Amino acid sequence: MALHASTVVVPIDFSSASASAINTGLEIVENPSQLYLIHVMLPLETMSPGVLLGDVTDVSRTAKVTTALKKLAETHNATDAHLAVTIGTPGLEIADYAKREKADLIIIPSHGYHGLKRLFLGSVAERVLRHAPCRVLVLRRPD
Amino acid sequence: MSPLFFKLFFLVTFLCLTGHNAVAIAQSPAPNSSNIEIDNEDLNEKATESITASIDSQFGIIVENMANVLFWEPVKAVPIPLIVIILLCGSIFFTIYHNWLNIRGFKHAIDITRGRYDNPDDPGEISHFQALTSALSATVGLGNIAGVAVAIQTGGPGAVVWMMLIGLLGMTAKFNECTLAMVYRKVRPDGTVDGGPMHYLEIGLQERGFPFPVAKCFGLVFAIFCIGGSFGGGNMFQANQATSAVRGMIGDRPGLDWFFGGLLAFLVGLVIIGGIKRIGQVTEKIIPLMCGIYVLAGIIILILHANQIPEAAVLIVRSCVSPEAAYGGFIGVLVQGIRRAVFSNEAGVGSAAIAHAAAKTDEPVREGMVAMLGPFIDTVVICTMTALVVIVSGAYNTPEAGKGVEMTRWAFSETLSWFPTVLNISVFLFAYSTMISWSYYGEKAWQYIFGTTKKAIIIYRILFLGFIVLGAVASLENVITFSDLMILSMAFPNIIGGVILAPRVKVLLQDYWRRYKANEFTVYE
Repeated sequence: MALHASTVVVPIDFSSASASAINTGLEIVENPSQLYLIHVMLPLETMSPGVLLGDVTDVSRTAKVTTALKKLAETHNATDAHLAVTIGTPGLEIADYAKREKADLIIIPSHGYHGLKRLFLGSVAERVLRHAPCRVLVLRRPD
Repeated sequence: MSPLFFKLFFLVTFLCLTGHNAVAIAQSPAPNSSNIEIDNEDLNEKATESITASIDSQFGIIVENMANVLFWEPVKAVPIPLIVIILLCGSIFFTIYHNWLNIRGFKHAIDITRGRYDNPDDPGEISHFQALTSALSATVGLGNIAGVAVAIQTGGPGAVVWMMLIGLLGMTAKFNECTLAMVYRKVRPDGTVDGGPMHYLEIGLQERGFPFPVAKCFGLVFAIFCIGGSFGGGNMFQANQATSAVRGMIGDRPGLDWFFGGLLAFLVGLVIIGGIKRIGQVTEKIIPLMCGIYVLAGIIILILHANQIPEAAVLIVRSCVSPEAAYGGFIGVLVQGIRRAVFSNEAGVGSAAIAHAAAKTDEPVREGMVAMLGPFIDTVVICTMTALVVIVSGAYNTPEAGKGVEMTRWAFSETLSWFPTVLNISVFLFAYSTMISWSYYGEKAWQYIFGTTKKAIIIYRILFLGFIVLGAVASLENVITFSDLMILSMAFPNIIGGVILAPRVKVLLQDYWRRYKANEFTVYE
């Protein structure tokens, strides 16, 4: 059965896996404007040198990520895609974004962490699955 | 501020109060009976002492067992801990291998720090000067004030020579590790940077042909010791000596260490959990000023005692080559000098590489050269100055001068009676800024192991605050041993890995130096 969706959310962490997720999304949607790309930033570390001595702020970070997202969308011929940058816990932020945009599909790659990172980091994909308001397509790691 | 922060503050306050008044709650004082009230106060005091002593004793047992393993002496006839041998040999190796860069590159390092080559469009978070300031805020502090006094106390005046020597040799160790941190750093899409020994050990060693489990093991061992270092030298030692400074100022009072430890934890928590960056920013900006005041006071004292300096210099050199048996002979002095110098400047330890990795440049070698100035300022200038003040004032052989920071305070107050107040403020600010910087180092190492989720990060930050309270109540000896153990042990994976990766640095340095000599760099000044 072919997968149809008109509002597709693709979380982007700028890895090659998220680039493949964009390609999968473009195969599903009729038009790149139906694609919603989101990058979730971690909260700023208030004791980092960039914050204490430099000029790193949430505003400067958001501007940089937005530029990077635009560039990524351009390389995939998806300049019409919607872009969003938020701060928080990735899984929850992605699910919230999907709710806000009334998405009918989320496409997310699974990085497959093991050991302690798996214990603490869990899986963003897993968390999205638990909180998503719609269908979720998890792309397995090639290996 | 988040509700979580208030919960944490409540927890810390609760810990302080329970520590202070554990037995007071059980005792119900009889009204209108002054005798019984006095008894209760006495009981409270004893209970506080007993809890403090119990924590200290448990902590001491753990530290002793760890010391047996980590300060292992491979040759019984020559009692030098393996880690000190690694630090000394590593620093000598880097200095010779990079062809005495600490001397030939000194002027260029100053030019870079002045901003001569700063390109605002380069990737990174902070300028070269800010990166050096950031790294120095973690190293300049109690290691320079209290650590030098401890070195002279336990190793005699001769320990100063070894401190200076390891400070000079450590410059190239610092260059090597900070260059590597720049080569293997990750610049995130939001412009922030993630770098440090755990990353260059893991990626760099694989590039050199080591299998993934071995490379990962190096990174993990470093990260574990770095977390320990952030709880020890970057935290407990600071809290302990800041409490000692307060005790010296207002006198010993029951429950003072619990209260002050709790207060420090609260103030650090404001920045690392409460997210109030303004406090950290102001502290970071005050630190260079406090450093300046401290150095100026030292210079004034040395000028006033100028006629005693030659005598002090002779004493230092004589006790370095023919040290007294009381200080453990030649080897004892050497080991103490190296331990305290490395504890102060962290060369070879790898911690500063985490801060330097944030520098705005696309030339890794350039930041490595800036980093080289750290051990010079920290050890060769500030530590030597403190040592001379301690010696010319006679504090080092005056029993009433006390230990650690108390000895330095006594030495300065002999000439400048107003200085103890300034020193106490400096000690507090140095301790505070070091704790904030080290919480960042420790958290980066923690993230390397446990990931970057909110849950993992909060657990680390709460532990960090808990160790501040523990540091305030534990004894200086146990705190110093634990802090040394953790910080010096970071050098195990870092120096061994740094030596393996040194050829990569050498290639980069040769290329950079050729372009520098050919005037190929754009000057932005």
